[in-house]
Amino acid sequence: MSNNSSNLSQLLQQYPWLPSLKDIYRDIALKDPIQFINDIFDNEQYDPIIERISKFFSVAFENLEIFPPFKPDENNISFYLLLKIILFVLNNKRITNRIANLYSKVTYSEIKKELEGNNRRNGIFILYQICINLGLNIQYIEEETYHTTLIRDNKKELKTNFKLYFTDFLHLSSNLKDDYRKLVNNTLSKGYVYIIPKELTRLIQEYVRKKILEINQIDKDNIENMRKSLFNNQNFKSLYDNIYSLWELKKEDFEYSIQVRFEKDKNLMELFPPCVKETLILIKEGQNIPHISRLFLTFFLLALDYPVDNIIEIFSATPDFNKQIAQYQVEFAKKKEYSPHSCDTLKSLNLCMATKYKDKLCIEGYFSKKKEQEQKIKHPLFYTQLKQYKLSKGQND
Amino acid sequence: MTNSTYLKRVFQSYYRERKDEIIPVSSLKKREFGFIPWDKKIMIRHMGFSDINLLREYTVNNPPRHMYSSGSLYNLPNNQEMEYKDYVGCDLIIDIDVDHFYTPCKDKHDFWYCQECNHSGKGMIEKCTKCGSLKIKKFSWFCEICLDISKKEILNLIDNFLVPDFDIQANEMQIAFSGHRGYHLKIENDKIRQLTSEDRRELVDYFTGRNINFQILGFDEHAGQIFGFLNNNKDWSRKITDKIQNMLLNNTNEEITKFLEQIGLSKNLIISFINSKDYFLNILKNNDYNLWNIEGFGITTWKRFLKGIVHEIGVEIDEPVTIDIHRLIRYPGSLHGKTGFKVQALTLEELYEFNPLNENKKHLNPIVFESYEYKQKIKISSIEIPEFYIRDKTYGPYFKDDIIDIENHIAILLLSRDVAILEE
Ligand code: SF4
Ligand SMILES: [Zn+2]
Ligand SMILES: [Zn+2]
Repeated sequence: MSNNSSNLSQLLQQYPWLPSLKDIYRDIALKDPIQFINDIFDNEQYDPIIERISKFFSVAFENLEIFPPFKPDENNISFYLLLKIILFVLNNKRITNRIANLYSKVTYSEIKKELEGNNRRNGIFILYQICINLGLNIQYIEEETYHTTLIRDNKKELKTNFKLYFTDFLHLSSNLKDDYRKLVNNTLSKGYVYIIPKELTRLIQEYVRKKILEINQIDKDNIENMRKSLFNNQNFKSLYDNIYSLWELKKEDFEYSIQVRFEKDKNLMELFPPCVKETLILIKEGQNIPHISRLFLTFFLLALDYPVDNIIEIFSATPDFNKQIAQYQVEFAKKKEYSPHSCDTLKSLNLCMATKYKDKLCIEGYFSKKKEQEQKIKHPLFYTQLKQYKLSKGQND
Repeated sequence: MTNSTYLKRVFQSYYRERKDEIIPVSSLKKREFGFIPWDKKIMIRHMGFSDINLLREYTVNNPPRHMYSSGSLYNLPNNQEMEYKDYVGCDLIIDIDVDHFYTPCKDKHDFWYCQECNHSGKGMIEKCTKCGSLKIKKFSWFCEICLDISKKEILNLIDNFLVPDFDIQANEMQIAFSGHRGYHLKIENDKIRQLTSEDRRELVDYFTGRNINFQILGFDEHAGQIFGFLNNNKDWSRKITDKIQNMLLNNTNEEITKFLEQIGLSKNLIISFINSKDYFLNILKNNDYNLWNIEGFGITTWKRFLKGIVHEIGVEIDEPVTIDIHRLIRYPGSLHGKTGFKVQALTLEELYEFNPLNENKKHLNPIVFESYEYKQKIKISSIEIPEFYIRDKTYGPYFKDDIIDIENHIAILLLSRDVAILEE
């Protein structure tokens, strides 16, 4: 093997999600999945892979950010491929989500280790190779300081060896938009965005995450058949069952914690509990609302990540609206991170509208699988999550 | 004869006699076409043409009032449903049209009247200045000044953004005068074609400076003191410091005052700023010292000032056009139904010299019906048409019911604008 291709195989052993896997490790990567599963599960030599898989799922389900050490060898490739097969047949978006998050974080920490190790140059080179393998339009340059800020005596310099073509930059950062990743706040010259290695690594993490999420989008008609065939292997089946029951057990802890978040142009009104709806309606009608309701609504919307401007916009319909004051109040609440009142408090303040709206969820509560009994809603934010969950399940009542 | 019947014939003669003006756009087969006819206010969309001659033939047989093709490429452009067109990619479209922003000449040639209270006035407004009604009829015109501003904007985009920042090559730019009040630019580049709508929004923010974060770029307050941008960076902060330096060096105190008034600074602050001009200029040149200390300027004033500067630098583009990947844009060589002028394709070099209302290169002259021998009798139907210049000749002002015998191209312009009717 030439030096080059042995470098590449090393790279693939550590980062098996790279596109070249199919060329260099043809025999493993393109193996028939059933054959692949039989090979792994019928040979004790591969037990560590299976153990690692179990561990990986349970860490992901616990929402922990622990990255158990592993050796970047061919087993690591098999681990990745096995992970994909399991996610494919599990066909559960939320599990895939969890795994994608964890796996991509592992990737980030791996690359970061390289960059922070004692051979930084080597780390930079590996990062560069990864980008090239991904087909990114990246330029490696002599280290250049491209941005300097000076606040009093505190000089901050951004230096890098990398420039990324702007379309690739936009593409990779599209799900991560915050002010730092907006093109307008970056250094763009001659088509290329200057990017520090750590940030580039973060974009690659996002690439890996998206790539794993794609697993549930392909070849959907084939899932049943594949599952059946794979279940012929008892060892595989028992691993699958283990993972599945682990999930069932953990599920409820976060089942309802589907994050409800402000999204532009999306109306969340139908997810809001009566106490919130009531206030919003009063505002829409142009009525003055009590200070306490105003505070509650502000805390509530802030908790859903509503931008300050949108909240002010909502209040602008009230007769005594004063933009400056509203701005100050909302920003203050945001800074202090006040959380919205609980149902008990709202009830004592006469702001609970459960009866007025005859809201079933508020009045009757919900059935907790974990506690195996009916539970009352205790918090308007929880109401929102639960409602979202029910709607997503098509349980509209 | 109605205006439409007449104009349809006139347009038809153009499409028949000057077939070559309809130049093939790139990947013609993959573009969707749209036409607005003369008799209905609808757009006939989802058409496709497999070659340029079929398209030319179509325009002769059905001379359109307006004609468009898509920025997007599709494998099945004539499928009626967007989702089945099999989208391939979309060129980056930028539309600059003075319709969308204020120009000083509008105070002279644009006017409006209120359908509620009959009050009327000049300039660009949103609602009646007397009764506040939104039911206003707007009458807009154009002149060399606003057309020139619109050209400066497109050059600003090209020279200060597309070339230095994005490295777009001249041969990737398809530029056109819209035939009315603006310019279009289409960037044809394989990588850019793949950008999503969201990505394009990012480009819009970059071109306009919207959502810029001064703090990230290096402007911050610390213990009541303001630390500004250093001037050796290559990002937007550099555009800002360059612009400020430029203003301090080249603008008169009156001009600077006017700018500061516009962004809402008080008299005292303006005086304070003018007095600190030299000091500020020195700081901007110095790269180790960036304490921006102007009497009375706190963080809020500074941010307001910077936002004003950003607005000066940013390009006035019609944002939805750039973001939407299913837009149609005017077809080069076709006629604009509101003027009778040709949508004129231009190379970058031609653009620098181009003057739509007084163009001496015959093949670039958008006024295709120009004729001084052939005259046409028309009757003014609008309340008022402001004085205007075309080809160094002054016309108007005209008032309702004036009957004028006027050069062909001016008649066609006024008929197309629906401010006059044929007088037989
Ligand atoms: S029960 Fe809670 S969530 Fe429902 S209306 Fe009352 S306070 Fe709001
Ligand atoms: Zn009025
Ligand atoms: Zn004008």
